[in-house]
Amino acid sequence: MRFMMLMIPKGYETAEPDAMPDAKAVAAMMKYNESLQQAGVLLALDGLRPPSMGARVSFPGGKPKVTDGPFAEAKEVLGGYWMIDVKSREEAIEWASRCPASENEVIEVRQVQELSDFPPDVQEAAAGLLELQGRSGQPKGA
Amino acid sequence: MKFMIIMKADKNTEAGVMPSEQVLTEMGKFNEELVNAGIMLAGEGLHPSSKGARVKFSGGKPTVTDGPFAETKELIAGFWLWEVKSKEEALEWVKRIPNPDGTDFEVEIRQVFAAEDFGPEFTPEAREQEERLRAQIASKQ
Repeated sequence: MRFMMLMIPKGYETAEPDAMPDAKAVAAMMKYNESLQQAGVLLALDGLRPPSMGARVSFPGGKPKVTDGPFAEAKEVLGGYWMIDVKSREEAIEWASRCPASENEVIEVRQVQELSDFPPDVQEAAAGLLELQGRSGQPKGA
Repeated sequence: MKFMIIMKADKNTEAGVMPSEQVLTEMGKFNEELVNAGIMLAGEGLHPSSKGARVKFSGGKPTVTDGPFAETKELIAGFWLWEVKSKEEALEWVKRIPNPDGTDFEVEIRQVFAAEDFGPEFTPEAREQEERLRAQIASKQ
């Protein structure tokens, strides 16, 4: 089963465009990343630049409306993520609990949808895309 | 430049409502275009937050709260990762996301950190460590 661990750092919603993570925190996080990798569960990970560099697009009446960041109404934003492949939700939560996170950080654990989670007609409609992406019909770990 | 395109959750995604056949067909075509244009790196949907959990850290101790997380307006339903030349190019693609049902939805566009974004704090050793990690992940897939 694939899970995303979504890192939500409180305060990042108002971070300056050039904000960089603290070197010490990054070093601790790299150790954690290596432990995920060595356990064979790490599929992907990325850090996101502050929302003040980003944008939001809404579609009122079907027309795209672009709002540049920062997003005044946002009380929390995503700072980065890990994608892991584990045997259970409990194992995913166990990994999230081991993260060297600080008091202002929350990790949201969410299961990734696999093709096999969908009814047969949906699976058929989506099969072509997986082929294009060079993946087998059954995602790894499903 | 790598961008994460975050599809925000709404009542339907949180309730686990399946998209209509028309939405699936049009989204499939759009994804195919992204792949053909060579910008698609990944795309995934997430199960509703009711099946998820949040972990908070207080005094270094983790506390687990089970979903759903109805109090937040910032829930995620899915995402794409795109390799594009600029934020503008990402925006152009976002504006073309199919919406046959005409529903209100919101997408957030965020640039992904790359090694070259960091200064000297990102030491040669740390860079090497990061590259090794990414190579190991890539070889696993």
